[in-house]
Amino acid sequence: MLHEVLLIARKDLRVEWRSKVTLGQVAPMGLLVLVVFAFAFDANTRLLELGAGGLFWVAVLFGGTLLIQRAFEVETDDGNFDAFRMSTIRAPSLFLGKSLGIFIQVVLLELVLGPGIVLLYNVRIDDWLLLLAAALGGTLAFSVCGVLWGVMAAGTRVRATLLPLLLVPILAPVLLAGSRAFETAFGVRAEAGWTWASLMFVIAAVHAAVGMGTFGFLLEES
Amino acid sequence: MSPARGNKYMTASPATRVLGVVAVAAALLMALLGLIVSPADVVQGQAVRMLYLHVPSIWIAYGAFVLTAVSSALFLIRSRRREDSGRHHDRLAGAAAEVGVVFAGITLVTGMLWGRVTWGTYWQWDARLTTTVLLFVTYLGYLALRRLPADPMIRGRRSAVMALISIINVPIVHFSVDWWRTLHQKASLSVGRRPEITGEMYWTLLYSTLAVTIVASWLIVHRYRVIRLEELRDEEALNALIASRLREDE
Amino acid sequence: MSEVATVATGWGVTFVIVTTYALWVVGRGKAIGRELGIGEQEELDLGSDSSTSANS
Repeated sequence: MLHEVLLIARKDLRVEWRSKVTLGQVAPMGLLVLVVFAFAFDANTRLLELGAGGLFWVAVLFGGTLLIQRAFEVETDDGNFDAFRMSTIRAPSLFLGKSLGIFIQVVLLELVLGPGIVLLYNVRIDDWLLLLAAALGGTLAFSVCGVLWGVMAAGTRVRATLLPLLLVPILAPVLLAGSRAFETAFGVRAEAGWTWASLMFVIAAVHAAVGMGTFGFLLEES
Repeated sequence: MSPARGNKYMTASPATRVLGVVAVAAALLMALLGLIVSPADVVQGQAVRMLYLHVPSIWIAYGAFVLTAVSSALFLIRSRRREDSGRHHDRLAGAAAEVGVVFAGITLVTGMLWGRVTWGTYWQWDARLTTTVLLFVTYLGYLALRRLPADPMIRGRRSAVMALISIINVPIVHFSVDWWRTLHQKASLSVGRRPEITGEMYWTLLYSTLAVTIVASWLIVHRYRVIRLEELRDEEALNALIASRLREDE
Repeated sequence: MSEVATVATGWGVTFVIVTTYALWVVGRGKAIGRELGIGEQEELDLGSDSSTSANS
């Protein structure tokens, strides 16, 4: 099964590598979002410093949603889902493979946004371990939720506007937890950062289980 | 539940006519009790009257979303056994969800007005309010998903999966006041505990719940019938299209 | 807004929302019924199709 998962992920990443959408378009857009926030808050440095945790995750949400849409466009445009159904690759592997592909792309996005908030919002990192754990948990949760809900909106022409509507209420707890955990790691808030971080892992695990169980079923319906 | 034949109110039937009259009467009585007969609260004043709508509305919304989830589950089970079977479960899921969204919206509006008077603000980002908004938006998304053009069975199954995942929001909203320190008060009524409100207010609240349930039931039945009519129309349109294609080929 | 005005607004808005929704639902039913021509006996028989048969 691991082999199949890696196969799918490698395929998606190869497509990404050739088109350079993540690095070339989404990451710069993410940085622009960070800049625009500064305009919105009138360059109030104290406010930006306090809000950096949340703003990071909002930027990840925007960029990540585009990546998920793209991950499914790539398949539906060429009718790949039909090919998958006829192949021997099992649906749970497909689910995990696509999630892994998204995960890596979002990590790349975060590697750009992270330094972005440090530089632009004057953030200082007190607890590196918490930060990385929270980033990991949040990105895992985002990836599995995104793929699960992406397939529900996939295969239709309206998915670009439907996907955020479906995805954001689901990701709201992840956004919340990620922001609180990051703020604790930045030392701007004394909160149960590790509790928030573990919540994201729980959300990721639950959605991964649901995804693995229902992906095949949902695929037949797209 | 089938509509009466040969009348111009397509979704009516003798049974629902009666239900409708009962619903209107119940609502009027609820207004009488809630606005006039029941007393103002010692602490909240007249604002307490808002609760006779606010609380029943969210309970009905919960119930409607649970009905959606149960219908979705039944639909998935039925459609596994035989293709094109169980469509009525899917229709009920859709009808209940829409009515649930309406009442969740009413909950938010009445809650905001109540909050303006009692807390001094229309909104607070505490756990109960935030999770309720998310519940509302989640089911808006469900309704949007149902509107995607697709084969009815495919659309039904996809929506069913979403309904079954989304139902987890209901206990989260309800128990959020216990799990997090919140501004919103804890439940005044719950199963197995002595009620924290008493007397006329208690009975008015209970009666209001009954009245809102009757109104919501009438709405769900009619919405169900309209969905059925919509499906009929789509099928006829499709059949007409196929027939004209066949004629072209001849 | 005074307390009484708020209560009136809340109840008023609720009744308006529910009534509007109810009218919309019934109206939509009538409109589609007209489209389908239901109301005459022959069309009604066409109207009961396979998807509403054995399981309703």
